[in-house]
Formats: sequence, C-alpha cells, structure tokens
Amino acid sequence: MANKRFDVTHVPGAATIAIVTFLALYIPVLILVVNAFNGSDTAGWWEGLSLRWFAAALDNAAFRSAALNSVIVALAAALLSTCLATAAALAVTRGRQIKGQGSIAVILNQPLLVPEIVFAIALMVVLAQVKQVTGYQGLGYLIAAHTTFCIPFAFLPIRARLSGMDLTLETASMDLYAGRFYTFRRVTLPLLLPGILAGFMLAFVISLDNVVVSSLVKSPGQETLPTYLMGELRRNLTSEIYAISALLLFASISIVAASWVITRTKQ
Amino acid sequence: MLDIRSLSKKFGSGDSAFQALKSIDITIEEGEFFTLLGPSGCGKTTLLRLIAGFEQPSGGQLVLDGKDIATTPPNHRPVNTVFQSYALFPHMTVAQNVAFGLEARGTNPAEVAPRVDEILGIVQMAHLRDRKSSQMSGGQQQRVALARALAPRPRILLLDEPLSALDLKLRKQMQFELKRLQRELGLTFIFVTHDQDEALTMSDRIAVMDGGTLQQVADPRTLYDHPANRFVAEFIGEANFLSGTVAGGKLSLIGQAPVPLPRGADASGPVTVMIRPEQVVIGAAGGDAITADGRIEALVFSGTDTHVTLRLQNGDTLSLRAPNNSHATTTFAEGEPLRVSLPIGALRLLPEDVADAA
Repeated sequence: MANKRFDVTHVPGAATIAIVTFLALYIPVLILVVNAFNGSDTAGWWEGLSLRWFAAALDNAAFRSAALNSVIVALAAALLSTCLATAAALAVTRGRQIKGQGSIAVILNQPLLVPEIVFAIALMVVLAQVKQVTGYQGLGYLIAAHTTFCIPFAFLPIRARLSGMDLTLETASMDLYAGRFYTFRRVTLPLLLPGILAGFMLAFVISLDNVVVSSLVKSPGQETLPTYLMGELRRNLTSEIYAISALLLFASISIVAASWVITRTKQ
Repeated sequence: MLDIRSLSKKFGSGDSAFQALKSIDITIEEGEFFTLLGPSGCGKTTLLRLIAGFEQPSGGQLVLDGKDIATTPPNHRPVNTVFQSYALFPHMTVAQNVAFGLEARGTNPAEVAPRVDEILGIVQMAHLRDRKSSQMSGGQQQRVALARALAPRPRILLLDEPLSALDLKLRKQMQFELKRLQRELGLTFIFVTHDQDEALTMSDRIAVMDGGTLQQVADPRTLYDHPANRFVAEFIGEANFLSGTVAGGKLSLIGQAPVPLPRGADASGPVTVMIRPEQVVIGAAGGDAITADGRIEALVFSGTDTHVTLRLQNGDTLSLRAPNNSHATTTFAEGEPLRVSLPIGALRLLPEDVADAA
C-alpha cells in the first residue's frame, strides 16, 4: 500500500505482546481443564488421566439440581430477553421516530450502567419483601432478574442485523398486498433470524455464568451452577470442582462458537 | 383512468418544511406508457411514491377508476412497483419472489404456480425459477423484479428508475423489452427517469418536472419540437438560446435584418428564441431564413456528426451539427469563417422562465 497508515501489527514487539497476552488469558483455563482430568484423590497431585471426577460430578445430586436450575433459568431468561430485545430493536429502527429514543437506549443499557452488585443488593431488598408477602419461593425471581440483565446482550446483535437490513424490502412487501403482520412473518423475521439466534445464545451464556445477582436473589436452598460452585469452593477445593468448571466451560464455548458460526454464515 | 388532482406533498413542518410537490394535475390514460422526467430532487420519485401509497399526500386527490385512493395503504392499492434497487427478497427463490404478491393477496393456491410459470415465461426467466435472488446478475434481478410486480395483475405498474443500475448495452435492450412488454400487456406504466433519451424512446407521453412543479406534459415529439419553456428545451436535447426583440410583428435576431415572426408566435419586446443545433443550416437556406456569418471556435468529432461551435459576428455563439457522411463537401477547421442560416420555421419563441422568477 502506498499510503502509510498506522498498523499496530507492524509495531516492534507487537507479536510478542499478543502471544504473552494470549498465554496469560488461556494458560490458567488450560490448567483447570487439565486438573479436571486428574485421576488423583487429592487436587493438585497428578496421578494420570481419568474421567472419574466427571463421573463423580454427574453422580452428585446437588450438582445435577443446580445444573438443571441453571439451564431452566438461562433458557427462560434468554427466551424472554430475546423477545423483549427484538421488540425494542424493531421499535428503535423501524416505524415512526419515537420521542426520547435516547432514553430508550439508557433504559435498555441499565444493566451495563448500574454496577451489578448495586443492582443485586437492590433486588435482594425488594424481593425479600415480595417473597415474604407472596410466599412464592420459586425460580421466577431468578428468571426475572436474569431477563433484565440479558436484554442488552440480546439487543446488540438483533439491532445490528436490523439496521443492516434494506428497508425497501419491507416497502416492497407492503406494495405486494402484504399487511404489517404478513410482512413481519414472511420478510422481516426470516431475515432477522440469525441475529435473534445470536442474541438468544449470548443471553443464554450470560445468564448461565451469573454469580452476583443469582446469589443475592435466589431463595434459601436454591442453587444455580455458579452459586453451587462458590459454595463448594468455600468448603474445599476438590477435583470435582475442576470437572464441573470444565463442563461449564465447554458448554459456554460451544454456545458462543455456535452463535458465531450462525451470524457469519447467514450474513 | 388515474386522475391526479392538485396533489401536493410537504415534508417536515415549520421552517424546515420542504415542499416536494406543488399542486400537480395529470390525467393518465389506460394502457399508456407515461414517464415522469426531471433532474434529481424535482419531485418525480415523490409523486411515484404517492401513487404507490408509500407516502401520504399533504393535499389533493388521487382518483383511480373513479375512486379516491390518496389515503389507501399500499397493500390495498391495485398498483405494483419495480424498485430501483429491485428489492428482491434475498431469502427466497425467484419463484417464491414472484409468488409473494399472489400469496399475500390470498390468491387460490392452485392458481399461484401456473401464474408464476406464465409470468416467468414472459420475462424469459423460467429456467432460473429455483435460483436464490442473490445469485443473479443485475439484468436477471431486473427481470425477476418486473415479474414479481406483474404477477398480481396490477392496474398500473410503477417503475422507479429501474434501468439506472444496468450497463449501457443491457439498458438499451431492456428499454426495448419493457416497451414491447407494455404494448403486449396493454398495461398502464408510470416510469420515472432522469434520462431524457430513455424517456424519449420509450414513452407515449412525458411529464417534465422541476422544483416540484409540472413544466410540460406532452408526447416526446411535441416536447422536443415545441418546448413550453427554457427548462424543458434545455433538459430535453440540446438547444441554442438567442436574445432577440420583436417590434411591429417582426423579429430582430443576431444582428440581422428583422424577419417575420414564425407562424403561430405572438410577442413583443425582448424575447428568448430557441433553435436546435441540427436545425441550423450550413450555407444559405432556401425559403425564409436568417443568414449570418461567423467564425468556427471549436470542432468536436462525435462519430455520426461533428459538433461545431460558431461565434457569430454580433458576439452570440451558436452550436450546430455537420454530418460526417462521405458526400459532405465542406471541410471545417477551427478559426475558419462559416456562413449559416436559421430557418424561420425552426425558431421557437420561449416565454420568460417562470421557474427562475419564483
């Protein structure tokens, strides 16, 4: 190229910094995964490859119930937040200009603006009262709380997809005798689907991984996977915890990878 | 068939308001190839969008087959559009695109497939019916867009600069095919373009627009031969404009002796006179003409003829055409003197431009 543009990859040492950063990020995770396959009775003492801790984890009823709770909450929260985010994205990019579009963005991004711990404490205080009055102790609180902070994550890929979409397509549909709903069903929604799927998966992973809000909102005796792990850690670091963490890691990576593949190929 | 009555459109309000259309009146006949022609921003696309129903007029009526449809939503108007960008649905095949309007309208499913096949045959796209619309060339997309708009049998087909994205050769071919299709179907076409050649070759009638107003509505030959004003004369074809004066029914032009006014013309005082370059005769003309001498300022070869720019003795410049056929006897060189004649029958007296005064 003739014009000299600043290119960070040509700075001396850039490659070294990149490699060091990469190693710093992934070596601890790698150590955890290796430890999950440790056959030894004591964590930290290597005694050959084994899947015994994975077997032990899957045999553990407390883990299974926590994992089930996590999946239920994540599925429900991802579903709800994706629906809300789709509606919000449509409202922001389509139709008439709504008054105060800026404040809509502020509302949607509340979870990114308010520190998570502050939000969690606020929820804990309010929900403690609600729990007392209603007597309901179920997963609903976790689902509602997770839905709120998943919305911005679901919103981003959907909005990106919508604003990249040619508005003339919807005009053409209306020109061809289609009403609003028919247009949405046959034109907008199919074209938006990759964005919605990506948003759903992102929301799912964000919910699956949450500790702070979950630990303050959950009812007594309820555990999600991350809160279960925190509780176990306080008592003892076992190879089973490594195995559970590894399982969580695999789940998370496969979902993020899937969402990446979907958005790339359908673009 | 379609009566456009005092139709106006204003965008925005208050100080930032923009009057895109100022009280337009046109009657479009059944089976007519009608073109809206003008520079960008003249309001032609706004008028088309009002007819399609994508915009609501600020005033006036749009009477189709005796019914005012000015506020009818686009999906309830028997009018379909071919978009400039084609706007084919990228997630559907060619056949699905063409079937869309029929299905959305609730056509009996048994009738959809035969109609799709029929219309794809008409636009010669039957062999690509299962292709995704994103895997086609511009010309093919153009045909599919046309088929999609024709399939539901609209009363009027609207075409928004549909050929502007095609290369010159393909555009010429599509112009011809569109015209043939329109004749065969006997369908009313309203065609928007900024290309005057396209408008002249295809249209039955043309509405020339500028600044949100109609300048002239006429058939191509009348527009070219008898432009209503300077804007139309300049926009369609090339033109020489000369300042003259009329006194006692006689016209004085380019410093020559007064001549009788052209037939049908009536004026007095200062006038603008228009003559097309190809009407200027080299040498002396038979019959009534103004003859003048000048010096050749520039010669530009353009294949079939040579464009000559002549500086007349009174200071006016005149452009004219010298045909490049093999029996042309005169040879030209820049700086050489040249005698030309302006036949009086080819002179057009134009009113002072209203658009400029407004």
